[in-house]
Amino acid sequence: MLLSKTLRSSTFRLAILYVCLFGAGVAGLFGYVYWSTTKYVKHRYDSIIISERGEQLNIFAQSGREGLARALKSRSESIPVDSDVYLLADADYAPIAGNLKDWPLAAHAGDGWIEFAPPPDWQPNAKHRPLLRALLTTLPDGSHLLSGEDTHDMVAFARTINRGLAIGVLLFCLLAGGAGLSVTRRTVARIEAVNATSRAIMASGLGKRIPTRGTKDEWDQLAQNLNSMLERIEGLVRGIKEVSDNIAHDLRTPLMRMRGRLEVALRAQRNGLADEALIARTVTELDEVLKTFSSLLRISAVEARERTVGFGSVELGKLAAEVTDLFDAAAEERGIHLRCTVSSVPPVLGDRDLLFETLSNLIDNALKHGQSDIEVRVEPDGLTGVRLKVRDHGPGIPAAERKNVLQRFYRLERSRTTPGNGLGLSLVQAVAQLHGAELALVDAAPGLSVEIKFPALATAEARPGAAPVHAPQVAAELGAQATRPV
Amino acid sequence: MRKVLVVEDDRETADQMAACLADGGYAVDLALDGNEALERGRSGDYAVITVDRLLPGIDGLQVVQHLRTKGVTTPALIISALGEVDDRVRGLRAGGDDYLVKPFALAEMLARVDALARRSGVVVKETLIRVADLEMDLLARRVKRGGADLDLLPREFQLLEYFMRNEGRVVSRAMLLANVWDVHFDPMTNIVDVYVGRLRRKVDAGDAPPLIHTVRGVGFCLRAPQ
Repeated sequence: MLLSKTLRSSTFRLAILYVCLFGAGVAGLFGYVYWSTTKYVKHRYDSIIISERGEQLNIFAQSGREGLARALKSRSESIPVDSDVYLLADADYAPIAGNLKDWPLAAHAGDGWIEFAPPPDWQPNAKHRPLLRALLTTLPDGSHLLSGEDTHDMVAFARTINRGLAIGVLLFCLLAGGAGLSVTRRTVARIEAVNATSRAIMASGLGKRIPTRGTKDEWDQLAQNLNSMLERIEGLVRGIKEVSDNIAHDLRTPLMRMRGRLEVALRAQRNGLADEALIARTVTELDEVLKTFSSLLRISAVEARERTVGFGSVELGKLAAEVTDLFDAAAEERGIHLRCTVSSVPPVLGDRDLLFETLSNLIDNALKHGQSDIEVRVEPDGLTGVRLKVRDHGPGIPAAERKNVLQRFYRLERSRTTPGNGLGLSLVQAVAQLHGAELALVDAAPGLSVEIKFPALATAEARPGAAPVHAPQVAAELGAQATRPV
Repeated sequence: MRKVLVVEDDRETADQMAACLADGGYAVDLALDGNEALERGRSGDYAVITVDRLLPGIDGLQVVQHLRTKGVTTPALIISALGEVDDRVRGLRAGGDDYLVKPFALAEMLARVDALARRSGVVVKETLIRVADLEMDLLARRVKRGGADLDLLPREFQLLEYFMRNEGRVVSRAMLLANVWDVHFDPMTNIVDVYVGRLRRKVDAGDAPPLIHTVRGVGFCLRAPQ
């Protein structure tokens, strides 16, 4: 199964192509090495032979044929086993002197180079079958001279090189082929893991994840990215499911109540005043239901929205001042001190309207549930981040409940009587997530501090005309404006 | 009589809107689909067109865009069920026309049509606005009631200016939030009422006949005493 997949795999085909190309290259290189080495060795032999013949010609020039014959004879007697070969013959190729018995038949043609195997009895003590290379020369008196060398060493050397090279190429092909196969198998196995997970997801559900090996290589990265994509898809699907569950649970109740009321009224006697009051009350309640419905859809819309679509550079300090200004009167009416302190911070990348709404929600929550002085702060977080903080001095949220309040429709027992639908913090969380920001509910003892940590603006845009904000000055202005006596 | 074209494919909603607009003093034409809307929109002489976005087979925004390319400049009130998370609605907001998110109160719709209908008329840039004995000097940023100076905060001044410019017309809380605070969502809280309450205490102080009135279920209205 895996093998057939391996053979069909494009990686394997690529590996084979690679092996072939590289193998051809290696073979070419080795061939050149072989050719140039043997050529060099042959050239060496030839020059040795030529200088040998030069000496013999010298002897011939000084002491004639007899002298040369003597010299050759004395040499063959003193060195019985010789890698040199030499033979002096008369004009009819009858041998006169030398270490070769007969003039080789192949060498009757004329002067020049010949290669030939000597008769078996030539130097029978030699451990190998010799191959002779010789230069034929016709001397001025018509006699013939053969001067040569046993080139067996050269042939053996060439054969050794040849074998070495052949083994090299073979080994290379085997290794490269093996490596290609193993790389392919590995690739195919990891792709197969992704495929298997995809099939499992199609067959059962979004719960499956692609296994990672902890090697942090590109395969692990791919698996991790696909996994986080699945995570997000699963989250969105869960969100949709939650919305429908929420609609079923929390919207059906008031609708049922209204339906019952209308049914009772329909069966009763018409009564102008009572009917009017009933219709007015029902319209108000229906409005509440519709509002809740819109809020739910809005939260899902924010959750499903593509990140950074329509995002711009937002100055949280300015935004905080505006929202504080909006809620100033409402706070004042409840006798609550609403203060906004802004430090000099870089702008964040975000959706101004959504951030405005988020901060409004937080301040609104603080007003309704905190029932005490509220502090809105915009301050640096770490080196480049920005933190938005809304802190009240009220009863806070018990540690065990803090996670729950982010759920849709969740309301603390003591808050059941205040107006609201339990969706505010869900929206805040959705917006924070959309901005890649971190939402934290912190016990401020006394009171609750809701903190949103925004990441740094990735691209530090040059913003012409944006004068640097001096923190103390802004704080002073805001203080003067937002902390008027109640 | 000013005419309004209502483009809405749900017959009952269309009839309800028509009835409400008729009560508000408008003659109403109905268009039940995109083609009819284009035909009527091009020929008729309307003060305002209201367009539902979810028409059979076409986005109401496209209808408006098409009319614009034909040179029809009638202000359009876009009615959308998609909410303001949708970026195209924001684009529209920036473009000047108004939008309303479904479901809406009919009175809110009427208030917005009123506002748009006025926009299509000539807007005079006065520097002095007067309603009964209330006088606003936009250059000096001063307000007098019966000759006595009123001490208004900047936001209260803006709020009163919007009321006075819409004298006699109902303005909804959402319209106030959008036009005075540039806030385009429902804050689910009574911020606007608090501000109007403060303004009312300053403007309608003492025995003077009240100018600012609450309209139940919709918003407020500033008008001269009868």
